[in-house]
Amino acid sequence: MSTTSIIIIIINIALAVVLAVALTPLFVWWERRISALMQDRSGPNRCNIGPFRLGGLIQSFADMLKLVFKEDLTPSHIKYKFFFSIAPGIVFLCSFLTFAVIPFADVLVIDGKENIMQAIPNELGIMWFLAFAGLAVYGIILGGYSSGSKYGLLGSIRASAQVISYEAAMGLAIISMILSYGSIHLTDMVNAQAGTYLGVIPMWGIFIQPLAAIIFIICSFAETNRAPFDLAEGESELVAGYHTEYSAMKFGLFQVGEYAAMSASSALIVTLFFGGYQVPWLDTHAIQSNINYVIGAIIIILPLKVFFLTKWMKKNNKAIGSNKSREKETKILTFAFWAIALSIVALLISFLITGLGTNGVNIVTAVIQVGTFLIKFFMMAFVYIWVRWTVLRFRYDQLQMLGWKVLIPLALLNIVVTAIVIVVGN
Amino acid sequence: MGIKVVPRYGKSFKDKLYLPAIAGGMKTTFKHFMKNFSDIENIKTMQYPEVQPTDLNERYRGVHRLTKNEDNSEKCVACFMCATACPAECIFIEAVERFDEYAEKRPKEFKIDLLECVFCGYCVEACPCDAIRMDTGIFSFVASSREDFVLDKKALMANERAKDLSNG
Repeated sequence: MSTTSIIIIIINIALAVVLAVALTPLFVWWERRISALMQDRSGPNRCNIGPFRLGGLIQSFADMLKLVFKEDLTPSHIKYKFFFSIAPGIVFLCSFLTFAVIPFADVLVIDGKENIMQAIPNELGIMWFLAFAGLAVYGIILGGYSSGSKYGLLGSIRASAQVISYEAAMGLAIISMILSYGSIHLTDMVNAQAGTYLGVIPMWGIFIQPLAAIIFIICSFAETNRAPFDLAEGESELVAGYHTEYSAMKFGLFQVGEYAAMSASSALIVTLFFGGYQVPWLDTHAIQSNINYVIGAIIIILPLKVFFLTKWMKKNNKAIGSNKSREKETKILTFAFWAIALSIVALLISFLITGLGTNGVNIVTAVIQVGTFLIKFFMMAFVYIWVRWTVLRFRYDQLQMLGWKVLIPLALLNIVVTAIVIVVGN
Repeated sequence: MGIKVVPRYGKSFKDKLYLPAIAGGMKTTFKHFMKNFSDIENIKTMQYPEVQPTDLNERYRGVHRLTKNEDNSEKCVACFMCATACPAECIFIEAVERFDEYAEKRPKEFKIDLLECVFCGYCVEACPCDAIRMDTGIFSFVASSREDFVLDKKALMANERAKDLSNG
């Protein structure tokens, strides 16, 4: 292995760790602020370090610090202390590992050597995701069971029953995707989504297989135990469900695990159905051959974005009363954003002037694709939060009814139709 | 007699599909989100410590005060009606003989424990002399020790009617 491929693997692992774990405070902040704005409240917006509140993001870090430094309490009635302790770890680790196979960009060719842009460059693809997404529920079951509390046990029973019913439909939906893409490898799947129908509609999975997309998205909501499928922690009847007896960082690990699962499934939804890292209407080859135009477009778009962002910030980050710290923060952040944007633009202009080698073009393409992936990923995470604060929790029998009587038959039908179309089409 | 037919929902294909209803709900929440996201002024939440409420009215029950005669002596005649009416038993009165033209008794000490008080206003209604009122408009009362929450006669007489309210 050469030095460059080692560096690329390290970058990929860092990206996966950041997306899966380090984004948890960000997503907690999003969850709270977005739900607040949807309900005409303002949400956490006071916590600050000096003048910096970052719109309330600091609150998440304060909460995280609190969880880390809280006493790690194990209730005295718990018999299986070992299982009680490792359960949050299992949830966290499994949710975290699902991220390992998500491709962040197309295969990166440097000096003629191909590097797969995944944290763990293996060929398992979607099988790896299915394996670890299914394993994560063992942590929930173990945690609820070893809690020695009725609420915990009921929560974990619900979680296991829910995962059994929805995993089946999810697997069937994935089978129809595998049939139409002809590969289990996620990079191949994303590359199959390049190009367009009739020159207008991007050839994304959601347009090829709309039914499978709907089934898969519903099932991955159920898989991550988020509303409307969060019966495992239904606070109205089960206190807090499987994590009733947990406190401090063990509870924090459950929380991180939940958000890591959310990130992983939004990344997978993006990869399977929304074209992954593909820039709409521009596949990898088109970017590489028109790199100068793409860079030119970025040079124009980036300052515009920053202009609108800073304008929005100036409008909405106003001082309240005599406290002027928010205006000071706005000034500092405006300066920081413009400095970053202008230095990126300067870098891109220098690329345009000096010209890029083959490796340079490939690397810039990979960076653009990672950026596209991140934009799609964050939009999908927003949809997760949006759905959570719109849709009501299902009643338990409704949940099972939807899983067994609606989603599984539909998924089976979809497989049959897909198979017929493929066989007849060839 | 006309028969009123109540429409039953949830049986049609569109209702059973469930997704159009979810889409409608998501549209509503997204509208609210965009309205508040584009301009923070649309949120009605009061930024409390900096912005104080201005909608206090006559019926608002704040911290108590003892009213005064023209010569700044207390109106209270130490009849113990308020202490008797109090459900929380937070009023403590010590009566002494009075030597002015208003009455025969006056409170030597008049204490209200605000930690016990439930702000029900029964003391105000029980008072025959209009000597105790809850129209100060003070809604947040903070102190650093339990003892500081017990208001004595001096503190209660120092409280004034809220400036937001009309003089009456």
